[in-house]
Amino acid sequence: MSNSQRPNQIFRNLNAKIASIPMILTALVVFVGGTAWTVLYSFTNSKLLPRLNFVGLDQYHRLWSTSRWLVSIENLLIYGAISLVFSLVIGFVLAALLDQKIRFEDTFRTIFLYPFALSFIVTGLVWQWLLNPDFGVQRVVRDLGWTSFSFDPLYNSSIVIYGISIAALWQGTGLIMCLMLAGLRGIDEDIWKAARVDGIPMWKTYLFIVIPMMRPVFITTLVIIAAGIVKVYDLVVAQTSGGPGIASEVPAKYVYDYMFFAQNLGQGFAASTMMLLSVVIVIVPWAYLEFGGRKRG
Amino acid sequence: MVDVASLSTGAQALRRDAAGPSGPKPRHALSRRNIFLYGTLIVVALYYLLPLYVMIVTSLKGMPEIRLGNIFSPPVEITFEPWVKAWATACTGLNCDGLSRGFWNSVRITVPSVILSIAIASVNGYALANWRFKGADTFFIILIVGAFIPYQVMIYPIVIILREIGIYGSLTGLVIVHSIFGMPILTLLFRNYFTSMPEELFRAARVDGAGFWGIYLRIMLPMSLPIFVVAIILQVTGIWNDFLFGVVYTRPDTYPMTVQLNNIVNSVQGVKEYNVNMAATILTGLVPLIVYFISGKLFVRGIAAGAVKG
Amino acid sequence: MEADIANPSVSIQDLSLNFGAVSVLQTLNLDVAEGEFIVLLGPSGCGKSTLLNCIAGLLDISDGRIFIKGKNVTWEEPKDRGIGMVFQSYALYPQMTVERNLSFGLRVAGVPKEEIAKRIARAAEILQIEPLLQRKPSALSGGQRQRVAIGRALVRDVDVFLFDEPLSNLDAKLRSELRVEIKLLHRRLQNTMIYVTHDQIEAMTLADRIAVMRGGVIQQLDAPQTIYNRPVNRFVAGFLGSPAMNFLKGELEAGAVPVFKADGVSVPLGRYQFDGDGGRAAKPCIFGIRPEHIAFGDAAGAMPFTAESTVEIVDPMGSDTLVWTKLGGQIISFRVEADKTLRNGDAIRIGFDPARASLFDAQTDNRL
Repeated sequence: MSNSQRPNQIFRNLNAKIASIPMILTALVVFVGGTAWTVLYSFTNSKLLPRLNFVGLDQYHRLWSTSRWLVSIENLLIYGAISLVFSLVIGFVLAALLDQKIRFEDTFRTIFLYPFALSFIVTGLVWQWLLNPDFGVQRVVRDLGWTSFSFDPLYNSSIVIYGISIAALWQGTGLIMCLMLAGLRGIDEDIWKAARVDGIPMWKTYLFIVIPMMRPVFITTLVIIAAGIVKVYDLVVAQTSGGPGIASEVPAKYVYDYMFFAQNLGQGFAASTMMLLSVVIVIVPWAYLEFGGRKRG
Repeated sequence: MVDVASLSTGAQALRRDAAGPSGPKPRHALSRRNIFLYGTLIVVALYYLLPLYVMIVTSLKGMPEIRLGNIFSPPVEITFEPWVKAWATACTGLNCDGLSRGFWNSVRITVPSVILSIAIASVNGYALANWRFKGADTFFIILIVGAFIPYQVMIYPIVIILREIGIYGSLTGLVIVHSIFGMPILTLLFRNYFTSMPEELFRAARVDGAGFWGIYLRIMLPMSLPIFVVAIILQVTGIWNDFLFGVVYTRPDTYPMTVQLNNIVNSVQGVKEYNVNMAATILTGLVPLIVYFISGKLFVRGIAAGAVKG
Repeated sequence: MEADIANPSVSIQDLSLNFGAVSVLQTLNLDVAEGEFIVLLGPSGCGKSTLLNCIAGLLDISDGRIFIKGKNVTWEEPKDRGIGMVFQSYALYPQMTVERNLSFGLRVAGVPKEEIAKRIARAAEILQIEPLLQRKPSALSGGQRQRVAIGRALVRDVDVFLFDEPLSNLDAKLRSELRVEIKLLHRRLQNTMIYVTHDQIEAMTLADRIAVMRGGVIQQLDAPQTIYNRPVNRFVAGFLGSPAMNFLKGELEAGAVPVFKADGVSVPLGRYQFDGDGGRAAKPCIFGIRPEHIAFGDAAGAMPFTAESTVEIVDPMGSDTLVWTKLGGQIISFRVEADKTLRNGDAIRIGFDPARASLFDAQTDNRL
């Protein structure tokens, strides 16, 4: 124990400080430093190599006049809205069904959650195969007699983002269900009893009592889903590589392609800074609501 | 029922004679509620299982059968050739040694990354929980906030750092990247776990003269095996399934399995061999699936903790 | 008292409840008179809350019937049973104001608006929660929350109130305040009340009759004083009373005047009122006497039985002092006023009236 003699302040608790070096380096160099570096260089005209040649907001002007970026943003909004609404609704309904003291609860939960163990690449490739118009669902339905049946979301640029959303929901809803189920299990059983004695039908109990009580769970889940939406990348790469054309591009892919293929680092930095901005817009109000009210000390 | 009644008072016996409901309320196994409940669950379960089924079925068919048939029908003639081909001879670019290369790369990435990230985070979490020093919380908050920053923002600066050190493109570089990005959630996990352990235990050990590492190794570590298992599950699945870091920080000959899989399936040259693709896809998903089915409830705990990572 | 109940408000007949192979309640019978305050008392896991949930219809029973107000409600939904219930955790709907909490069930049931307003006004007046009506439960203290919870049962305008350990989450001071309020409420409303608790003071103070339960079986159902003074078995004797009743192991010797003998002590039981022919046969038995029924010093001389002893330990408790000594080679305790100064080793004289004692069969634990 080094503090028995109280020597120099720096050497107090030295081991703990040594153990924290990786954290300090990560926090300062990578998270703070890296972010600041990227934001700074997004105001330069860096091409193949980063260069401190400031051009103001030029990169951002170009970004917002590039149709590929606009398509990416539009796709992200659609994909985000679908993910948010459907994974919350489906996840909650499944959790509520599993919470009815049913038999085989563990089996059902295992089935609903297993896709979450798979990577987005695997998920994307499976659904690419299932939605393949020549062999997949469309072909099977046509073989059954409906020869005019058409279901080829991955090859139809106006609906391709919905095809990607189907795969994303398949992969991620199990997680939302688990979070919701944990939330439902946290509700005091006496509340249910009180509602039954009061004669409140089950759906009204859920709607007016249980869901309002689960507000914190919903907010946390919302943040988790939102953080996942912004990062969506692998799924698109695996399922469509952004196609047909640029119809299923997303911001994360835009950043990657401009940094590592188009050799236009400045665009990549500007696009990633916009991603950061969108996360800040989501996270800051949440953090304020969650932690702002009860500050320590 | 009647002979029991004769033992009780007359008034009770009188009332008992009147017919009326008695015992449990009759419930039909096929009540409308049950049909709706189990019906919905089974339909949804089938929907969730369908892709897995199609993957397996397709991987066991020959290409002629796939061209003629229906993706949902079971294979007429079971063949394991697609599996062999996916593992040993499928081509990506110039390499034609199948997914096995990616598999071993992923093993070489995952094992050290899991060990390193958990070692760093557990010691760090322990320091934050029990040996707090001035400023520690500030760094910790930065770390947690950093977990929400899109990776894309930090990708390029890390490329520069790794290039400066001279490990850009090597497996070592990727291991370090995984340890960095695993740090926020794992540190939070361990810090919270160690904080919840009784303070007296720590004090007693200090009175006994144990130091920082002694307490960690002899008291904290043996008492926190469950949380280590949760962390291992979280990291094995997370790192195995990673694509973005793999594609950014490695070279074609060191690509992890996910990247190689994507290159095999989405390569534009040659005839598409869907059965080989599906066999390759299953092979890639197999490791996390095995972890999932073995770990059961611990997996749920792990993802609940790791969900923030997104 | 039991036989008088011609038209019970609540009647439970041969009720059984099994969870799988575990039997929680066993062919249980209980009649509660109109306007009666019944307390179900017992240690945790004795089935008292389970029984209350069965009466409320919140648990499916395995066998038997339940009547409320003469109507067979065995298969009825809780809301149709004519009951109101108050829970330990209050179970208020946290996102609604107090007023909404009170009115929600009525609105769902389609009660007219004026009627709802009238009932809420009455409940609020009775419980003195008028100023709280627009608040949310999180802005209330524990005592206020439980008042609102009682109010929610009150507005249902029902005949039977069920309380499931309503005061257990409150601190000692609030608990005794609310206990008095519940008693006043019962006096004012004259409703039937069934009240579950593990707190013997609540049971003794509130109940018209107490049902002491253990292992899913009612051990004794009687007025509080009877349960206290004439417990039917050793469990009931030991469960009620604080400090607990003293038990001495020994032998019962039959005769014209039966005698209890234990290691050098013999207590003549001429004044003891045996149940039936309990005193006829000699057998091993247990002699129980409450600490407050043992006299000391001069008062002991007036007692039918006296003995010499020495003080072992003195425990001052504030209001009185608990003294530990030996009788028949076994440790017993008794109470003295706080101002008596006794020291360890003091020679003392103690005495008691065997009529106030309880004698139990050592084999069956039943009262003799």
